Amino acid sequence: MGIACFFTMLFFSAAGTLLFALKPSEFLSSLFSEEIIYSVKLSMLTASISTLLVMCCSVPTAYALSRFTFPGKTLIRTILGLPMAFPELVMGLALLLLFGQNFLGPILEILGIKVTFSRLGIIIAQFCIAFPYAVKIIYSTFEGINPRYEQVSRSFGYGEFETFRKITLPMARSGLFASAIITFARCIGSFGAVLILAGGSYMYTEVLPVTLYLNISYGNLEMAITSGILLMGIAFLAILSFERLEGGKL
Amino acid sequence: MSFLETRDLCLDIGGFELNNINLRADEGDYVALIGPSGSGKSLLLETLIGFYVPEKGRILLEEGDITAFSPDKRQISIVYQDHMLFPHMNVFENIEYALKKKLRNEKQLEAEIRQIADILGIGGLLYRKPTTLSGGEKQRVALARSLVVRPKLLLLDEPFSALDARAREKLRDLLKKAISEYRTTVLHVTHDFEDIWMLANRVIIIRKGELIQEGDPESVFRRPSHSFVAEFLGTNVIKGKIKARNGKLTVLEAEGLEVYSADSAKPGEKVTVSIRPEEIILARTAIESSARNILKGRVSGILKKEHLIVVEVVIGNTEIKAVITPTSCEILDLEPGKEIYAIFKASNARIIGRTGNTD
Repeated sequence: MGIACFFTMLFFSAAGTLLFALKPSEFLSSLFSEEIIYSVKLSMLTASISTLLVMCCSVPTAYALSRFTFPGKTLIRTILGLPMAFPELVMGLALLLLFGQNFLGPILEILGIKVTFSRLGIIIAQFCIAFPYAVKIIYSTFEGINPRYEQVSRSFGYGEFETFRKITLPMARSGLFASAIITFARCIGSFGAVLILAGGSYMYTEVLPVTLYLNISYGNLEMAITSGILLMGIAFLAILSFERLEGGKL
Repeated sequence: MSFLETRDLCLDIGGFELNNINLRADEGDYVALIGPSGSGKSLLLETLIGFYVPEKGRILLEEGDITAFSPDKRQISIVYQDHMLFPHMNVFENIEYALKKKLRNEKQLEAEIRQIADILGIGGLLYRKPTTLSGGEKQRVALARSLVVRPKLLLLDEPFSALDARAREKLRDLLKKAISEYRTTVLHVTHDFEDIWMLANRVIIIRKGELIQEGDPESVFRRPSHSFVAEFLGTNVIKGKIKARNGKLTVLEAEGLEVYSADSAKPGEKVTVSIRPEEIILARTAIESSARNILKGRVSGILKKEHLIVVEVVIGNTEIKAVITPTSCEILDLEPGKEIYAIFKASNARIIGRTGNTD
């Protein structure tokens, strides 16, 4: 109890320091600066696209892992879980090498696709960082649904996909929402992998964490703190929604 | 050919298995499937409905081979102990969901739902969510959902086991009514012998994935083919040697007691005898009657089992069980250690196993 109170106070003080480091006028002028507006727009757009892609891929992946038995299932689960333990920078480096000139880069270039040091790179980096978390949450959700619900539905003449759509998905609704929120928060806050794969180009691949980093480097604290407050606000809303979903209150 | 038939059905899913199951049921049969936990009863149901694919063997329903059919093509319904009502739908929607693949017409749909709801007494629950229902109500809804589609075969996997005695009794009556109305063939996994006596016209006993005995309840209970079956069914099993023939009766000598049986056996033969606990009369004195077996013993235990009393009596070195009513127990003033006579007819001591001649 005491430890919990101590750490809550510690986090609260740290957040408070960030919140009250700027005068309201300084915060507002940074918030409406061209750079922050660009950064917020790009962050929201890339995180939304990444979340959508992550959800589209993680739902079938988690369902297959939860319901079917196939060779190499444990290996696949381990590999999918690896990025959670990887430092983001290492993940970014690995992606840079994969999509760089030595491997997929030349092939993708022929197709007119440029991943490295581009906005597409932001989405790919965010996707790779958030996907394992989404799979883990959705997998737990499916594991919590007794497969007999699906079997009963099948016995009434419904096919596999129809059963998934009409029974499994509605029953997994809370878990899917929670997963989408966590994915969005992971995507918008993702820094290391994005910086390495997409680069930190001013007003081009500049998402909110990159804005914070660039402005700290220039010594522009007002902009850096404003980015930090925005990221903290998004994270707070995400965690609040997640907690409410987990508790079944939403 | 029977309505439902399995031929040499084999499946091993690790921990549970089916070994060459050859099962038959005629149309309209109510078959009770019993056996110890882990014997493969539920696995058999889930293989019949198509949730598991057998490694070997065939499943025939209405003369058609359905072994390769997916569950949605078999027209078999199942009700589980934990009802499996879809939590995001209300009662009406749950039943409607089951029927929608069969009926498209909204009016017909509603009429069918109202009909089954009336039979099972859930008319007032139609717009309630499953989470707001009691255990008995949930199970009635699950039965309604499974019966409304008029399945060729209804599988019941211990549907009453989570209910109290009163709810069970009520549900049994309702089920009986619904089954006769919908003329469904039923395969019912149960641990409760009352289900068998109240509902079933056939019993199948399964152990370690093997079918041990089948027949009508009367014959299975009165003449267990195997000492395992007798023990499982709660019958007294006495093992001994045939001492002599006495007229038309056979005299068996078991550990410290002598039993007369109407079944024939050769002197010297080692046999197993089954005596149903409810066929034993307990008396304070050795009353004269037509019963040939009057055995003196001592009460070693008195157990309450639902509405009845099970009295354990030690005779010689053998313990036998008798079932009596609480009133009889009171009249006889039974208590452990008290002297008592166990009386039963020679025709009720049935030879169920022979292990050869020792002489």
